Amino acid sequence: MGDFCREYTQISLKASEASTPIRHKTQGREAAVVYFSYSSAHKRSASKLLGYPLRSATKPKEEKPPLVHSSYSSAHKARREELWFTVGAQHIPFGASPQPAMVSQYGIKLAAYLISSSYGDFCSKVCECLLSRGTLTLAQIIRFTELSRENVINCLRVLIHQNCVQAFSIQQEVAFGEAPKIVTQYMALFDNTIHKMRFPKFMQIVLEELGKDCLGIFEGLLQHGRLSLNQIIDRNMQTPDNSDVHAVRESFSRLLNARFVERCPAPEPFLAPPEEETPAKKRGTKSAKIAEAPKTIEQRALATASPMESIRFLMEIDTLRGTSEEKGMESHDIATLEEKWKQDFSDAELSSSGKKKEILWRVNFEEFVRRLRHKACIEYVRIRLSDQAGIVLSAILELTRSSETRLKTDKSASMSINDIYDEVIKKDGGLGMDLERVRASLVQLGCQIPTTGIDETYSIDLKNIIELAQNEEVESVVLKRYGREAYRIFRLLSKSGRLLETDKISDTTFVEKKDTLKILYKLWKDGYLHMEKVSVNGPKQTLFLLWEVDKESLWVRVLDEMYHAALNLRLRITYEQDQEKEILQLPTEKLVGELEKRYKRLRKVRIILESSLMNLDDALMLFHDF
Amino acid sequence: MVPREAIEVLLSKAKTVRDLHLVRKKREKECVFSPPPPPSTTAVAAAAKPPILLTQRHLNTIGEGMSRSLEISSFKRKRPEADPLGLIDAERAILNAIKSKKDLGIWVRDIKQETKLTDHVVNKSLKSLLTRKLIKEVVNIQNKGKKHYMSVEFEPSKEVSGGVWYVDGNLDKELVNVLKQLCLRCIRVQKVATLERVHEDLKKQHVVNFEISILQVFEILNSMVLDNEIIEVKSTGLGEYYSIPIGTVCYRFDSGPGVARGLKVGAFASIPCGACPRISLCTPDGIISPSTCVYYTKWLNIDF
Repeated sequence: MGDFCREYTQISLKASEASTPIRHKTQGREAAVVYFSYSSAHKRSASKLLGYPLRSATKPKEEKPPLVHSSYSSAHKARREELWFTVGAQHIPFGASPQPAMVSQYGIKLAAYLISSSYGDFCSKVCECLLSRGTLTLAQIIRFTELSRENVINCLRVLIHQNCVQAFSIQQEVAFGEAPKIVTQYMALFDNTIHKMRFPKFMQIVLEELGKDCLGIFEGLLQHGRLSLNQIIDRNMQTPDNSDVHAVRESFSRLLNARFVERCPAPEPFLAPPEEETPAKKRGTKSAKIAEAPKTIEQRALATASPMESIRFLMEIDTLRGTSEEKGMESHDIATLEEKWKQDFSDAELSSSGKKKEILWRVNFEEFVRRLRHKACIEYVRIRLSDQAGIVLSAILELTRSSETRLKTDKSASMSINDIYDEVIKKDGGLGMDLERVRASLVQLGCQIPTTGIDETYSIDLKNIIELAQNEEVESVVLKRYGREAYRIFRLLSKSGRLLETDKISDTTFVEKKDTLKILYKLWKDGYLHMEKVSVNGPKQTLFLLWEVDKESLWVRVLDEMYHAALNLRLRITYEQDQEKEILQLPTEKLVGELEKRYKRLRKVRIILESSLMNLDDALMLFHDF
Repeated sequence: MVPREAIEVLLSKAKTVRDLHLVRKKREKECVFSPPPPPSTTAVAAAAKPPILLTQRHLNTIGEGMSRSLEISSFKRKRPEADPLGLIDAERAILNAIKSKKDLGIWVRDIKQETKLTDHVVNKSLKSLLTRKLIKEVVNIQNKGKKHYMSVEFEPSKEVSGGVWYVDGNLDKELVNVLKQLCLRCIRVQKVATLERVHEDLKKQHVVNFEISILQVFEILNSMVLDNEIIEVKSTGLGEYYSIPIGTVCYRFDSGPGVARGLKVGAFASIPCGACPRISLCTPDGIISPSTCVYYTKWLNIDF
């Protein structure tokens, strides 16, 4: 595998030349690894329904970490269910503190389906293996997927090139006296895989903001995963409406300035082993350690691989030399950057290729997720409050977007009233607003007007808006599935945020006492509520039932159901198209009478399913990415 | 053994010679198993003699004697009790047990445990107390199947009756709906209303025959907030809130442009999978799958 990295650049160039991915046929049935499983009566017969055996996580149970919330496990055990996730091949019971890279069962299935529909079943198998078992070496992947070495290597190349897998090298622990061994490990990038479903949304954003020329370049990057600037130019030459080199560079530069495109991360960064601290040091830094969660190996790998912020959106040095005055950079800065780039790549690579390696560029998904997050907040505020509040919020987010360092910022940066007003009047519908109406909208958005006139700045609580939107989504599901009374009960428990007794719930929601208990039990059985029993020893021993909504675990469950629904929509679209594939092959002139009816029906069905999928994707991002 | 009281009752009811024969037989039974009763009246003594052809004169004599004996025996019954209500021991014990629970009421089985009386005695006593209107049966909403009794001078407590919203153990949905409509009308007129304003409005209208408390109005408004019919906001002092102090909780209709078009349905809830009760059983290749799903077929065949 040592050769892999050296050959990486050549392979990445070859892969980009291919216009269609190579499809591999599987031989025999694929064994599905199901690790988010119910052991209730229904699911015991599931293996018969599925036609293949259900396998639990391979790690032995004694390796599982202790539970944080023991009451959840007891509640689930009472229902004779065991829920668990695997993260990095660790068997973590449901209710334990969530790890950063947790992926649920249907999240993995959806990701595997997306890879399979674009790159074939072998790539899908490798991706599924990495997602369900965590970071693995090549040998482990070959063993678990039961594919040939050559196939696995090819699949990894494709997945790395499409930004779905990240490789990194790590020093393996060896016995005393032996030379340290460096191994290459591969980790799946779940978020980037799911982003494949929302490419049309990203393209829409680029089209609206930058126009058709930039969209052409952007489409190429989406299709090929990674391209160098020369490849982008060559690709443009082959299109019918090609533009000259300078125009292409100009469009590319605009994409970079808008941060829609970024430099690719290092192909295989080396993770230095964590330094061992002395006891004296430990005492001093103990409090600091408790405050921040320790980084997992995957987080460290991603942090090491990603380029420095200063060069992430910077074009190549060759073009910079000509435009360094415009960028305002000094020559010695350029020289230090060149040194840094040289260190990023091994000397052997440079010497073997005989020329400087070309910089590869890819889509900056983080920027698109940020924009979609802002869009979701603005839309929510516009529908729930007013159009004016929506305009004010979009103005604030426009101003603060470039200063956002993290994706999931809780609050927007503070802006003065005058800056906000100047931005508001530039927006459609904002021209007629005056300072007082802007202030009124800010109050609607939850801001407090400062009592002193000096330093009038405002910041919007975005986390609160996202939470309100999430609550509405789940309440909507409860209303549809369980009815209006269950909706009232769920809203009461969700708003109160604490344990409530059955009678209290019944009195507050005006639901008959006998019906209240039935509804509460149904919601508890389906995992929407958490229940605790309290027995009071008095003259008569009475048993009280207390109920609450556990948002953390419920959100994870809802997200998994949404992944399931998204997969169902995709499968149904494929099914409907397969049913009418003869009609799709016919030319338009022959579509008359009955055939025309069927064609129109297919069109209508596709529109419904695809638009529902895009809406559902908004909800998916609301629960996972925002 | 036939108790003496029963025989005396029979004697009082005896109208024919045949009846007298029956009474005589019963008397003989009593004589076999128990010491002979002290001679009480001439009528009883006459009944104990062998049967003779009784003339009307004899029957009249017997009848007078019996009525006299009844008075004596009833007088005898009353004397040891000295109860103003005319209750026997068992009934008095049960009534005391019921009264001790005051407005909570007591279950039949608990009465039996406390008084340690037999089922038959308890049931008879309860019937008698009910007919005398000393106790009443109440429905306990916690346990509708179990019969609870309460003394008439007490009103059922909130835990038993369910409060003002419950009638005969069932939620008075009509009352709740009427009050909800009135509150909505009040808010519609005032645009933004505080709890006090709604309460005053309802009191003025005199729609219900009991005194509505402010707590009850709060409960009604809260349930409408949970139903998303109205929203709860804090006054800002600006615009529509100018007459309401800043920070006061008030109620209004949701005025968002999207809401006016109808309640916004979530993205997940608007597809069949969102409302599906079988989603946990659905798998890509299983019996329940997206390609075979009937809910999808129905949904896609609707003309949009």
